[in-house]
Amino acid sequence: MRHRAAYVAFDRFPSSKGSAVHIAQMADELFDRYGGGLLGVIGGGDLPRYQREGTREIARFDARIPNLIDRAEAFSGWVADHLAPHWETLEVCHVRDPWSALPAVADGRRHKVVYEVNGLPSIEMGHTWPWAAPSTLGKIRELERFCLERSDAVVVPSRVIGDAVRERGVPEHKVHLVPNGADVPGATERPADAPERYVIYVGAMQPWQGLDVLMRVFARLADLDGLRLVVCASVPERRAKPVRRLAERLGVADRIDWRFTLPHHEVAAWLAHAEASVAPLTGCARNLDQGCAPLKVIESMAAGVPVVASDLPAVRELMADGEHGRLVPADRPAELARAIRVLLEYPHEAAAMGRRGREHIEEGLTWARSRARLAEVYRTLDR
Amino acid sequence: MTRCTVTTGFFVLGRCGQAAAGSCPHCARPVCAAHAAPGGACPECAAARGYRTQDPHDPTWVGNRRRDYYQRSSRTYQDTYWYSSFDEYDRGAFNPGDDYSYGGDWGPDDDTGFVDS
Ligand SMILES: [Zn+2]
Ligand SMILES: [Zn+2]
Repeated sequence: MRHRAAYVAFDRFPSSKGSAVHIAQMADELFDRYGGGLLGVIGGGDLPRYQREGTREIARFDARIPNLIDRAEAFSGWVADHLAPHWETLEVCHVRDPWSALPAVADGRRHKVVYEVNGLPSIEMGHTWPWAAPSTLGKIRELERFCLERSDAVVVPSRVIGDAVRERGVPEHKVHLVPNGADVPGATERPADAPERYVIYVGAMQPWQGLDVLMRVFARLADLDGLRLVVCASVPERRAKPVRRLAERLGVADRIDWRFTLPHHEVAAWLAHAEASVAPLTGCARNLDQGCAPLKVIESMAAGVPVVASDLPAVRELMADGEHGRLVPADRPAELARAIRVLLEYPHEAAAMGRRGREHIEEGLTWARSRARLAEVYRTLDR
Repeated sequence: MTRCTVTTGFFVLGRCGQAAAGSCPHCARPVCAAHAAPGGACPECAAARGYRTQDPHDPTWVGNRRRDYYQRSSRTYQDTYWYSSFDEYDRGAFNPGDDYSYGGDWGPDDDTGFVDS
């Protein structure tokens, strides 16, 4: 099978992380438009190395290479090998990171390259890999710049990331805003093991997610009898160890319910029946400079639950303070706790915020709308 | 009855489960009529044949792949040393580490990726 389109991401697919939902939506739009295509992603475990669904083919990289740079480079080589048979027929190659992009932007290509920037490794890796030297991050930054420069279109999920990309010298006309979306779920049954009253956190466990702040917040809400915190972690249990240790130390561990790597529709049910959804993102450079496009904020609104989130530019693009929930300064447990407390004291007002959040998604932040915008980007490439 | 074990689905994966019509001549797994490629191969083995040999269990695989790829991509960069510009010092920071460094471990239940919202 020779493909006209390819979508490449250094990400496991499928998985319970937000990135997998995003990949599914974007790749589906690409493959719809080009009559199928090749999806190159990370595999391992039970996932087959090759899979075929009609005119769609999924190839998964599953070499076990412990060092991240070695692994990323091996992935680049693997991508080059997997694009090679399609080199003559390929019209669009859509990539999500520099190591996927590198083989796609090579000389002698006739296809167009769409680079979807959800974050910049040169910024991100400094936060997740504290031992990385500034000079190393500088090399990664140069790699990013090279790939961005050679791409035909750059897709960003938020204005903040758009600014970061333009700062790297990408001209305005190449940058396209394609926001993340959510599908508004129908009525969902309350999870059988859900506590009577709970606030919820959904997502991964990196330090910049602000779970340490959330633990301190919850310690301040100890007087609220029967209120529990449900953490729906998108990552395996052992990644929660540092946060759980902190919860023990703060004396809140026995009021927290943990759920790990739940399927997407189950998370939606947990969201829908919560009193509030908390996104305590920290005000670190990672979140401020490159922004982020927190899918959890969009999905919480779609589920009709009021959101209490850090007041960061990337979050403000998605929701309004007092309208869909509350925005509070980042890294301030006392203020975050107060906002949650007020929401809980005014359930009618909270419910109204939840409803308005859902309407806000229906009106402008659905996946259908995001996909239509992406389709427009592909159309501009054809011209 | 033997059932087809081919993985199906794009986002949510399942097993085909149809009655098997034969077994793949390369890996011997049972395959139904709908999933058997010409020659009776399973979709995984059939697709693999379209690409260069990918055997990550071969200890030389990564090294070969990298060297081979550098040679091709160095033309792109007009710089033979682009990749080797990530030296041992750079790499050292990216060895598997603490619980926070997602992407740091590498097991079947692990995730990877550089960025996450
Ligand atoms: Zn086989
Ligand atoms: Zn089958």
